[in-house]
Amino acid sequence: MSLAFTQAPARRRRVPGTTGQIALALGLAAFLLAFLLVPVGSVIYVAFTEKGSGSFTLINFADFFRTDLFMRSFWNSAYVSAMTVVLASLFALPLAYITTRFEFRGALIIQTLGFVPLIMPPFVGAVAMQLLFGRNGSVNLLLNEYFGFRIPFMEGLNGVIFVQAIHYFPFILINLSTALRNIDRSMEEAAQNLGSSGMRMFRRIVLPLAMPGYVAGASLVFVKVFDDLATPLLLNVKDMLAPQAYLRVTSIGLTDPMGYVIAVVLIVVSVLAMWVSALALKGRDYATTQRGGGGLAKRTMRPWEQVVAYGVVGLILALVLAPHLGLLLLSFATIWSFSPLPDGFTLAHYSRVFGESSVYIKNTLIYASIAGGIDVVVGTAIAYLVLRTKLIGRHWLDWAATAALAVPGVVLGIGYLRTFYDIRLPDGTPLATMWIVLVIALAIRRLPYALRACYAALQQISVSLEEAAENLGATKPRTVRRIVVPLMMGGILAGFVTSFATAAVELSATLMLVQSNADAPLAYGLYVFMQSAAGRGPGAALGVIAVVLVAACTLLSQYIIDRNQKTTGAAR
Amino acid sequence: MIRSAALAATLALASFTAIPAALAQSGKVTVVTSFSKDVTDPIKAAFEKANPGVMLDVQNRNTNAGVKYLDETRSNPQTDLFWASAPDAFEVLKSKQLLQKFTPTAEGIPDKIGAYPINDPDGYYFGFAASGYGIMWNTRYVGANELPEPKEWGDLAAAPYYDHVAIASPARSGTTHLTIETILQGEGWDKGWQTIKNMAGNFQTITDRSFGVPEAVNSGQVGYGIVIDFFAFSAQGSGFPVKFVYPTVTTVVPANVGIVANAPNTENAKKFVNFLLSPAGQEVLLEPSIRRLPVNPAVYAKAPEGYPNPFTDPRFKSMTMFDVDKSGKRTAVVDTLFDQLISFQLDDLKSVTKSIHEVEGKLKAKDNPQARALIKEARALIGAVPVTEEQASSAEVRAAFSGGKEKGARQAEIEQQWASFAKDNYAKAKAKVAEAATLAN
Amino acid sequence: MNAHAITDDAAAVLHTAAVDLHIEGVNLSYGSNHVLKNVSLDIRPGEFFAFLGPSGCGKTTLLRLIAGFNTADTGRVVVGGRDISDLPPWKRDVGLVFQSYALWPHMTVAKNVAFGLEERGVKRAEIQRRVAAALEIVGLSHLAERRPSQLSGGQQQRVALARTVVIEPKVLLLDEPLSNLDAKMRVQVRRELRDLQQRLGLTTIFVTHDQEEANTVCDRIAVMNDGVVQQVGTPVELYERPANLFVATFLGTANVLEGKVVTSGKERHFESLGGLRIGIARDAVLPAEARLVFRPQVARLSKEKPASASAFEGEIMRREFLGSVIRFGILIAGQEITVDEVFHPGARAPHEIGDRVWVEIPASSALWLGPGT
Repeated sequence: MSLAFTQAPARRRRVPGTTGQIALALGLAAFLLAFLLVPVGSVIYVAFTEKGSGSFTLINFADFFRTDLFMRSFWNSAYVSAMTVVLASLFALPLAYITTRFEFRGALIIQTLGFVPLIMPPFVGAVAMQLLFGRNGSVNLLLNEYFGFRIPFMEGLNGVIFVQAIHYFPFILINLSTALRNIDRSMEEAAQNLGSSGMRMFRRIVLPLAMPGYVAGASLVFVKVFDDLATPLLLNVKDMLAPQAYLRVTSIGLTDPMGYVIAVVLIVVSVLAMWVSALALKGRDYATTQRGGGGLAKRTMRPWEQVVAYGVVGLILALVLAPHLGLLLLSFATIWSFSPLPDGFTLAHYSRVFGESSVYIKNTLIYASIAGGIDVVVGTAIAYLVLRTKLIGRHWLDWAATAALAVPGVVLGIGYLRTFYDIRLPDGTPLATMWIVLVIALAIRRLPYALRACYAALQQISVSLEEAAENLGATKPRTVRRIVVPLMMGGILAGFVTSFATAAVELSATLMLVQSNADAPLAYGLYVFMQSAAGRGPGAALGVIAVVLVAACTLLSQYIIDRNQKTTGAAR
Repeated sequence: MIRSAALAATLALASFTAIPAALAQSGKVTVVTSFSKDVTDPIKAAFEKANPGVMLDVQNRNTNAGVKYLDETRSNPQTDLFWASAPDAFEVLKSKQLLQKFTPTAEGIPDKIGAYPINDPDGYYFGFAASGYGIMWNTRYVGANELPEPKEWGDLAAAPYYDHVAIASPARSGTTHLTIETILQGEGWDKGWQTIKNMAGNFQTITDRSFGVPEAVNSGQVGYGIVIDFFAFSAQGSGFPVKFVYPTVTTVVPANVGIVANAPNTENAKKFVNFLLSPAGQEVLLEPSIRRLPVNPAVYAKAPEGYPNPFTDPRFKSMTMFDVDKSGKRTAVVDTLFDQLISFQLDDLKSVTKSIHEVEGKLKAKDNPQARALIKEARALIGAVPVTEEQASSAEVRAAFSGGKEKGARQAEIEQQWASFAKDNYAKAKAKVAEAATLAN
Repeated sequence: MNAHAITDDAAAVLHTAAVDLHIEGVNLSYGSNHVLKNVSLDIRPGEFFAFLGPSGCGKTTLLRLIAGFNTADTGRVVVGGRDISDLPPWKRDVGLVFQSYALWPHMTVAKNVAFGLEERGVKRAEIQRRVAAALEIVGLSHLAERRPSQLSGGQQQRVALARTVVIEPKVLLLDEPLSNLDAKMRVQVRRELRDLQQRLGLTTIFVTHDQEEANTVCDRIAVMNDGVVQQVGTPVELYERPANLFVATFLGTANVLEGKVVTSGKERHFESLGGLRIGIARDAVLPAEARLVFRPQVARLSKEKPASASAFEGEIMRREFLGSVIRFGILIAGQEITVDEVFHPGARAPHEIGDRVWVEIPASSALWLGPGT
């Protein structure tokens, strides 16, 4: 037998991927290069140039570390981000725990309502928060009248932490709930069998198992808060990094490199934070690798437990939904000034925006759904390449897409203008003025969320399901279409919803790229209204419409996900 | 998913093809403006009525972002007009050759309003409405806290106003920048900064948008705001419980409009400028939601009772002469000084100001000349500026703020110097006040 | 399939001509880890063939290599005369039933089974006919519209099988198909598998670590260890004439005595390291250094010293009741020897732990292995 092989045949070269996969990877790389790396690079390269000569230098970074204001901003940003994670966890943990561990009426509603704070329309949200929690907001006016003191909810860094925690805690809630639901029942039963129960078991078994989900959500919150400029700016907190970058980039000192230096610092810190969290979880993603399961056993609560649970849930929901309640009040208010409640109520604001806003609504729906669509397609593709192929450099796609998380919207907006303005369409209009460029900017900014969702969904699919399809004659693309995508649908939809909902209320890139009123989305309409005293009510009405719209779309997809989950059954 | 993505793509394609058709329409003119919808909507309606077939497309951006946008898109402008309040911004645009010359047809508009020339003498931009700067306050807030009603900038520096005043950062708000510049020109560089810093010690907040100030006053989050007049007038027009006063050191400056160089629809842009300056266009400014001061004196005949008229009201005659050239040269320096000495050191500044108010309160009851002298020294330390007026507009300092063209000091370096100057001075002042406090007891 | 008889009609629908399969000189490494070492096998048309070995021996790797999910560094796989080494999995026509079944949870049973036919562009009516036949063969026609999550483990496995055979693969590959079933089901299903394979005439490869499974259903077995095929043969051949110690011990229980052959005059005997002397027939051809291997059932146990010269006294350390036999562990000269005695229900009481007994090791029934095997 060995005779036939005395002259050893040439060692077969193992190809890292099929031609299709390589083409896909190249296409994605081109997309990220064209719409993320090049535009951002075109802006931030200034950070590395010497004033006057334009040659490469790191002196600007030395300036960064030498400037008290920037160092103070840096530590403030780090402090605010960390404390936001703590406060957001305090909001998210009880909600996730109660809705996943117990038989709890309205768990689905809570999960959906818990998502709503993410949809905070710009400007009006902050105005509503001020009217409720500000120094002379409803709460403090009442406290002062009856008890003679005020709580500085909205002052300085604490105000930022408070608002950010309310705004971003859904990231922790969503990830933590999913992780809790995915824990194999036998894990818990084993602990009970060995004599552990109640909170002790929760702390020692359940929580550690849910850790990957928690850390994923917490790191997302950390990075988002670190990079967010809208909330600090609206609360007039300037000594944080992202607002500093924004102020410098958009103020008259345009060619000053420090704004871009800060942008580079933001990007580096964000990527670092994601990397550290990935490192911390390396080889610890056990929640999803268990077989069987069916999630944690749900327990029925004793009556007094029910009272406590409903109380806690009610309190948290009231707090996190307060901005939206304030927004609703504002949209019906005649005048609301230095008083716990508006002077009177009217429907006039709605009738004013009704006619004008249809174009905004239409644009928002189109832009946000295309952006969401781009995100899940690109997200699924990158997740697939990273998890299912051995292509060299596939992780770079992942890292590049994740880095988008840290790119401030305004940097991306300016980058797009720089990169695409000189590319002309046949009729002479610059490419940058096409609305589709705005949509791509929206998509790029949200790509990291969608990518994580798709990644997680694909991770939960056993490879043998795909191999079975290939074995029965399905090519790779056919397998993706018939097996992978249908099975990932829950995750894909979740990614789509997150992208859609946040894109629908995004402002920073929008402001830079909107070219005409006819092409403008809701966020821009809000901005325009919120520039005048008479526009406050209509702005709030538009904000309410935006929230209702996005929440409705979210609920719808929640429903679809749920139904999808039921039909595919618990088996994975 | 795929099906819905395909649907979206089809929709996208449909509107994609629809847009060039809209562009091809001859009667279009695009304006970049910082004005709110409440201002632009009535004017748009009146303009389109007066010029059938021409559609006014409004792009809303704040002044600085608008300037930056025009600069970034200069290679192939898609906008025809720039329309905003701050004359400084127009100076910047003019110096960057982003505007084109034009001679409007309108008649009956005088050369000056107050002491200020209405139009650019070189014909690159034109005033269409006047605005003055002043103080607005929320009457409910002031009533509830039993606070006084101010008349002059200096009033805001008094003890009762501590932590009740808001202003927009001049780097972010063209109108606030003009207010600061007006005080500096009206009172002189050193005295002006002293006044500004004395006021600043009482600031509750420094907002990053012009409208942030009236918004905060309207909703009662702060008592007083340093604003441009129409913010207060339009708030009153909308029913908010606010009042407004012009201090004596102020100026009435025109809000402007200019045609963008190489504008795609130059002819329609000219039509818009002519309309805005015509009696019909000027009358629109009187609407309650706009409330700006027309530049055509004849229009005031149709104004409601009590409407300020800068052409007849003697107060406006005495207002400060505003030197646009001087202002233009040191814009970045003044804004950066404000931010470095005030915005980013606000906590220190407020804390020392609070102590001064306390000591001064005690001194009123029981005088102590030594303590008074210390307070005076502390005030001087607080008011000190790291650069003289000459240095502020010197080529050397300006170069640091003009970006990568010349070698020299970097903006960040200078900022750090100024910031530590302020920090040290406030610390020293604080020590002096502490000393005065022990004496006053 | 409880005693379910496959209708000949259904089997006929899916019956194909059997083909042979050759694996030639396959080597596979992951980095420095040499997983398959020069593996060559010839599998005959219609044969039920097993890859048997402990976990990590490379048997599943070899199976996945045939299916196209692993790529060999060298060597080739030939099915029915056609080299499929460079074909992607979807062009190979080798049906693989996964250990985890890998049923798609978003499709019904019928949809799962129809999948491969749809991918092949088979006409709708034909798909229906064949899916019906496949489901009938595995006895699940009544569950066609269920989802996999609604089925028991055994039913899921049959769906996986139906899904694979319905495409009429040239070769059927079964990856540990019985590992997720309970003991009773295992016995039943392995018979059914054999029955199905016979009726469809499919060349089948069965991967298992359980020698009993392999022995009961397979025509021939390749015993693998450490990436190397140790021996190929029928179950009886492997049991009776293991090529080496690994095969001897992996297939069933064996006693191994290390030692050497000593010739003294006319007599020859084997002398173990523990000092046991066992006489050897004069004409046996043996190496000087050798191992004596014998199965537990060939040794005989008695209370009294037997006549044979190769009988040794020891103490019973262990006693295990296995149903048909009782297995004793007896300590002789420092080594535990395993001996099975047939258990006759109602017969005399067996030996007790601690009893001293005599074990007779018949050299004629023993196997001799050379050193280092």
